[in-house]
Amino acid sequence: MKRRNQLSRLRPVDVAAVGTLGLRARKARTVLTALGIAIGIAAMISVLGITSSSDAQLQAELDALGPNLLEVTPGESLTGDEVVFPAESTEMIERIGPVDAASSVAPAGTTVRRTEFIPAGQTSGIAVLTSELDLVPMIDGTVAQGAFLDDSSSALPNVVLGAVAAERLGIHTVDNSPQVYLSNTYFTVVGILDPIPLAPNIDRAALIGQPIAELLYEVEEQPSRVYVRTHPDVPDDEALFDDVRAIVAATVRPQGPSEVSVSRPSDLLAARESTEAAFTGLLLGLGAVALLVGGVGIANVMVISVLERRTEIGVRRALGATKRHIRLQFVVESAMLAALGGLAGVGIGAAITAGYANSQDWVVSVPVSALALGVGAALLIGALAGLYPAARAARLDPAEAVRPGG
Amino acid sequence: MATPVLELRDVTKSYPGHPPVHALQGVNLAIELGELVAVVGPSGSGKSTMLNMMGALDRPTHGDVVVEGQALTSLSDRRVSSLRGRRIGFVFQQFHLIGGISAAENVATGLIYQGVAGRRRRRLAVEMLERVGLAERADHRPNQLSGGERQRVAIARALLGDPAIVLADEPTGNLDSATSDEIVGLLHELHGQGSSIVVITHDRELAASLPRTVSLLDGRVESDR
Repeated sequence: MKRRNQLSRLRPVDVAAVGTLGLRARKARTVLTALGIAIGIAAMISVLGITSSSDAQLQAELDALGPNLLEVTPGESLTGDEVVFPAESTEMIERIGPVDAASSVAPAGTTVRRTEFIPAGQTSGIAVLTSELDLVPMIDGTVAQGAFLDDSSSALPNVVLGAVAAERLGIHTVDNSPQVYLSNTYFTVVGILDPIPLAPNIDRAALIGQPIAELLYEVEEQPSRVYVRTHPDVPDDEALFDDVRAIVAATVRPQGPSEVSVSRPSDLLAARESTEAAFTGLLLGLGAVALLVGGVGIANVMVISVLERRTEIGVRRALGATKRHIRLQFVVESAMLAALGGLAGVGIGAAITAGYANSQDWVVSVPVSALALGVGAALLIGALAGLYPAARAARLDPAEAVRPGG
Repeated sequence: MATPVLELRDVTKSYPGHPPVHALQGVNLAIELGELVAVVGPSGSGKSTMLNMMGALDRPTHGDVVVEGQALTSLSDRRVSSLRGRRIGFVFQQFHLIGGISAAENVATGLIYQGVAGRRRRRLAVEMLERVGLAERADHRPNQLSGGERQRVAIARALLGDPAIVLADEPTGNLDSATSDEIVGLLHELHGQGSSIVVITHDRELAASLPRTVSLLDGRVESDR
């Protein structure tokens, strides 16, 4: 009688079949229960995906703008005196070896208003600056309407408005040669710029030519801001880049290089975007809470399922299933339920990411590791949620479970 | 004399409580190979407890349950479960088929826990369904079968794997009289083919039609003939 001593065993393929029986038999419940996990995973995947797409987009933008733009502005003087740059700053900086080009703006000593009837104090926060003629390409700007200042137009009362300045003055087109009022004279708006990510100061400025500024306002040219383009390879070499920054500072203010601020606008842009990371963390946390709630929902449904399937458990025990087999069946069922939700969630999350990124004209980027992690996390949560119900199922007294009416 | 297929040796089962319930009190009983035995008694006489003891679904407070010469008392859950699955077949009053799977899959459920591959399980299950006259219902779900058919499926399930003994708990309790007769006929037929069968029932008429009848009263064997 050899057979008598053989022990019960369950082949892995049958573990899967037995473990999914409950899911196949109660489809509506399976879908509804898995939905909780699906929502949690979808939320997390879409947050990760949208963040990642936004990062990819930012990187692409920064690469396009070039991280080789420097912005030179007066810093704090030790003595509290005003720091001024010499008029020849641009030419001097352009003589530095690794610098390709430079362009500057200087205060024009006036304000801009829509008409002369607007009180002099209401300048809407718009600075009037004199600009060199090569400013726009230097800062990767583009002209939305009209044209930028050139040799002839810069000698006349013509003005080019930054995007924000134009908005604040209520000027949306240059078609009818609109005019704005600078001290004593009406200037004709000949151009409007697009928003310039790397130079928000220019967005809020009205730009006029140096000759007309000297003629009308008798200002001495003292650049307040110099934009410098280094050779494109320079930012790749950290040490060289720092050297260039130091030399630029010493060039415009030999008597006190530390009183000059040399910043990189693309750094500021990157920093601004990274503050959004905190917000991403919060959203991820919300997704995790949804996932947890989904897990609790699964545990709940599994407890009910064990109660409903008492006789099935008893019959399986009578037919040779050990306690371990019963426990395994319910843990697998719970894990499968969650994995189903996880798969759906990953799909929904990826779709949301793609949809949102497309609507924003972004590069779509869904990290594959996040997808794998999503399904893995769901599987783990499902298995954990199934432990308690499975233990209850295994503890069930088989005699009790098969009793008539029980 | 050959070893009995199933033996209860001085089996006592008490359930804790105030006062404790002594469901079985020193029961001795031996079932020989190929016997068809009825266990009768009014409700509360200990019939269900006796079934649980014989089927190793529960353990006695005192005494030994011996299946084919092997005492179950000292065995682990895994060994008892294995022995239950391989050597004992169960037929329940309420059939207890598993919903959502076919008749053949129900019959083959026990084989899953013996590590038998799916194709072979299916073949053995269909063979067994043929023996109870239900081969053409192999792919029906339990809710597509009549009461009598369900009980036939349950009997096929109990017989699969050639157990030492089949325990039937009120197998006709949920069936009309015509269907009951069919099931009793089937049990006789299987007995004729050599199966050892214990039928637990409160139906004296059914008990009287079987070769041996054990009567229980208040947890003791009142008569055995």
